[in-house]
Amino acid sequence: MHIAEGYLPPVHAVAWSAAAAPFIVHGVRVLTREVRRNPEAPLLLGASGAFTFVLSALKIPSVTGSCSHPTGTGLGAILFRPPVMAVLGTITLLFQALLLAHGGLTTLGANAFSMAILGPWAGYGAYRLGLRAGAPLMVAVFCGAFVADLSTYCVTTVQLALAFPDPSSGFTGALAKFGGIFAVTQIPLAISEGLLTVLVLRLLIQSSPGDLARLGVPFRGRDKAVAR
Amino acid sequence: MLPIDTAAHSSRWRRRNPLEKAVLAFGLTSLALTLPPWPGGPLTAAVALAALLGPARVPPRRLWRAYRVPLGFCLTGAVPLLFTLGGPGGIVGPAEGGWARATDLLLRSSSASLGLLLFAFTTPMSDVLPRLTRAGIPAPVVDVALATYRMSFLLLDSLARIRQAQAARLGDASRAAAWRSLAGLGAAAFVRAFDRAARLQSGLADRGYEGRLHVLVPETPVSVRFLIATVACLATTAILTIVSEGFLT
Repeated sequence: MHIAEGYLPPVHAVAWSAAAAPFIVHGVRVLTREVRRNPEAPLLLGASGAFTFVLSALKIPSVTGSCSHPTGTGLGAILFRPPVMAVLGTITLLFQALLLAHGGLTTLGANAFSMAILGPWAGYGAYRLGLRAGAPLMVAVFCGAFVADLSTYCVTTVQLALAFPDPSSGFTGALAKFGGIFAVTQIPLAISEGLLTVLVLRLLIQSSPGDLARLGVPFRGRDKAVAR
Repeated sequence: MLPIDTAAHSSRWRRRNPLEKAVLAFGLTSLALTLPPWPGGPLTAAVALAALLGPARVPPRRLWRAYRVPLGFCLTGAVPLLFTLGGPGGIVGPAEGGWARATDLLLRSSSASLGLLLFAFTTPMSDVLPRLTRAGIPAPVVDVALATYRMSFLLLDSLARIRQAQAARLGDASRAAAWRSLAGLGAAAFVRAFDRAARLQSGLADRGYEGRLHVLVPETPVSVRFLIATVACLATTAILTIVSEGFLT
């Protein structure tokens, strides 16, 4: 769910951009270091960015009978790590704004905070926690993708509730209003994205084990996770 | 290519310097955000539409197809403002001043979206990205964005063909088959993206690639006349809004 151009009041748009800036700057530093160390990194990262962009354009069947788009943040964070995802996600959001009219430039900071920063960090945290708790890789991957998707929408809900508090019940009422509307579609969608991510990763383990190993995805045999 | 980028490549303003178009488009977006929604929203939207359909010659049908996406979000996003929770009317009731707030939001976001579309429909990404280094964006980030941009279209094209092949083999016949096809599509995107990056790397290495993607950017001088006209247009819109707001209230 991208917040459209002009939807947030100017003060909120600036505040969310300021909140996203340190994470993006950190991601840029990590990315620059990687490019200096490895000259072929821009092409691999470009491929990762294109993969993220294309993944967000896939239509997944929703439980309600309609179709929706995955955020792709969970899979991206597992494969490329959250700091790099902050940059790749922001580039993807910029492309979506200018090529698909999804989102906007004044709301880029708010969208980046939810989709490129908090979603990937929360998803990656859930994935690592799962691995550390000894869960099979695919269970950890499902948790990562599910949490990444759901936390993205939770942040968007908070952003909208802060911008448009309810006249009677204030922020809490607005949170319940926007959250209630999102919950109908987003909880099934988060489950769908978790399942899709598991299926994609299972296929990748079969078809591209070399690339996955290079990206540091821990797998051994079929689905067995190995803690790094 | 995607419809907006295709339109941008064939736009009448394609050869204009991106800075000129950015000043006009983002100036209009800023006005839509900062001026009173009524009558500021309709006025800025009218100026953006006049520029899009007039001198920029954007096909109306293509513009509508792109515009209905943010418009849909604005409409659905405005609905919750009409209701309130826990007020005197019960658990859910009509919000006092809800219609006014929802209308203001609709006017503001729909006109700001037109400003963004004015830039998107007249400026291809391939013209913007190489110039970002001059705006202070680190070169490695611009290189990654350029590689992402170029590979995205190839990937989208590949996936459209795979989707067609899957559909022809009854890949959507049942819910289970649809999920299998979708997972195959996601995995194919990953494999193709990394395969293409590896082949691009080896091709570039043969040409002396050292980690920077140098792109030729056609030198297009900034038109001072266009910039003066843009500033005059933005100022007139702002003054008209303020004067007419006072008159209307």
